[in-house]
Amino acid sequence: MKTFNTMLKTELKLSLRGMDMFIFAICMPIVVLIILGVIYGNKPAYDDAEYSFLAQSFGAISTIAICAGGVMGLPLVISDYRHKKILKRFKVTPTSPSVILTVQVTIYTIYSLVSLVLVYAVAKYFFGYQLNGSWFQFGCGYLLVMVSMFSIGMAVGGIAPNSKIASVIASILYFPMLIFSGATLPYEVMPTALQKVADILPLTQGIKLLKAASLGLSIDGVIFPIIVMISLAVICIIISIKFFKWE
Amino acid sequence: MQTTIEVEKLSKSYNGLVAIENVNISISPGMVFGLLGANGAGKSTTIECILGTKKQDSGTVSILGMCPQTDRKKLFEEVGIQFQEANYQDKITVGELCEVTQSLYKTAADYHDLLKQFGLLDKTKSPVSELSGGQRQRLFIILALIPKPKVVFLDELTTGLDAKARRDVWKSLSNLKEKGLTILLTSHFMDEVEVLCDKICILKKGKTVFYGTIAEAIASSPFDKFEDAYLWYSDEEEKENENI
Repeated sequence: MKTFNTMLKTELKLSLRGMDMFIFAICMPIVVLIILGVIYGNKPAYDDAEYSFLAQSFGAISTIAICAGGVMGLPLVISDYRHKKILKRFKVTPTSPSVILTVQVTIYTIYSLVSLVLVYAVAKYFFGYQLNGSWFQFGCGYLLVMVSMFSIGMAVGGIAPNSKIASVIASILYFPMLIFSGATLPYEVMPTALQKVADILPLTQGIKLLKAASLGLSIDGVIFPIIVMISLAVICIIISIKFFKWE
Repeated sequence: MQTTIEVEKLSKSYNGLVAIENVNISISPGMVFGLLGANGAGKSTTIECILGTKKQDSGTVSILGMCPQTDRKKLFEEVGIQFQEANYQDKITVGELCEVTQSLYKTAADYHDLLKQFGLLDKTKSPVSELSGGQRQRLFIILALIPKPKVVFLDELTTGLDAKARRDVWKSLSNLKEKGLTILLTSHFMDEVEVLCDKICILKKGKTVFYGTIAEAIASSPFDKFEDAYLWYSDEEEKENENI
């Protein structure tokens, strides 16, 4: 535990020193929230809707940090640490290199949760947002999205032959998901054709799940997204465990 | 007395290409042992097999009476290692790197004492990347010493250092030797090997071409300088001539 805590403290400091995650996981969701809040205010999501546009977007915005950490932060840090032989160095100590991976996952979990709390606080105090659905269901959905996004990151970081390729794959995954999954640009304002394309992105499914949970809609409509998220997580975890390259 | 490192008939090949063949090494407590050879002679493979980061095809390795593969956790409490390339995170400071390293071990030396001893205490808050070459190498020795090891592995510690910095590192190593630490090192500088090593092993294309003391190495060669003798054993001179 001593090892884990010291490493967590240091890696967290290093991550904050890097600023990227602070910008992409902490600041960006709040900026998106404020922009949507200012543009749409508390207008209903559509004519006669029972919930506001902002309430509809809450689930989506809360995944921006997960997406940044999972498909950008994790793959980059893993491939970088492998390239620098930091993972290998841990092999000749009494600890295992998996400790530092656990530390990284913990860090991105912290970023996601901090972002969730901040997004909720801003939405609540500045735009009068209330979560109508169940916090429990939302929490479970959030956890599931986190597990599946982070497992993508682990798989990409674990099998990418070098940092450069990891960074290319991360960008290919991150930017389309950030823009087209509904995390930033609301899914509802997209043309139907674009929505169909967006549906392929795993995060789109995750956001549907969170949307339903946060708005208190029926769970029946989101069985498909749940299956997609779980299968994705299982596949990526198997890939990471089987093909992870330590050096 | 039990030997600290015992390597018997170590062999390893990559895709049919022999990297090392039948290497035997025996290091007693308190000895400084030099593993020498040209680039690609098999030094790194030998060290990796000894440390268990690579699996040998055949042969046995024991460090402090333990097997590096099966007794990993216990063994690496007592072994300090410095790798050839720097393995540290961007933007990490000297103090942070020492603190994390310290946290990996059950019993560890106080890194402040070591920093003081190696003249780096005022650099505690500096990023590792901003240290000079000599300071960085001294830091890597400190990292290898943090576990309070009985044996340390130092891989090309002085490569890339200027003459003054190399002398400083030698001095540190001599002090450690006096304290009875067992050291296995690799180096391309024969003046350094001559000063520090009690025994050497010269590898050539994965095979041992000389094993013994510096004096023996000179005696059984046609030369009277160690560097000449080394080049004669490792055939580096011949290759140079071919290039002309």
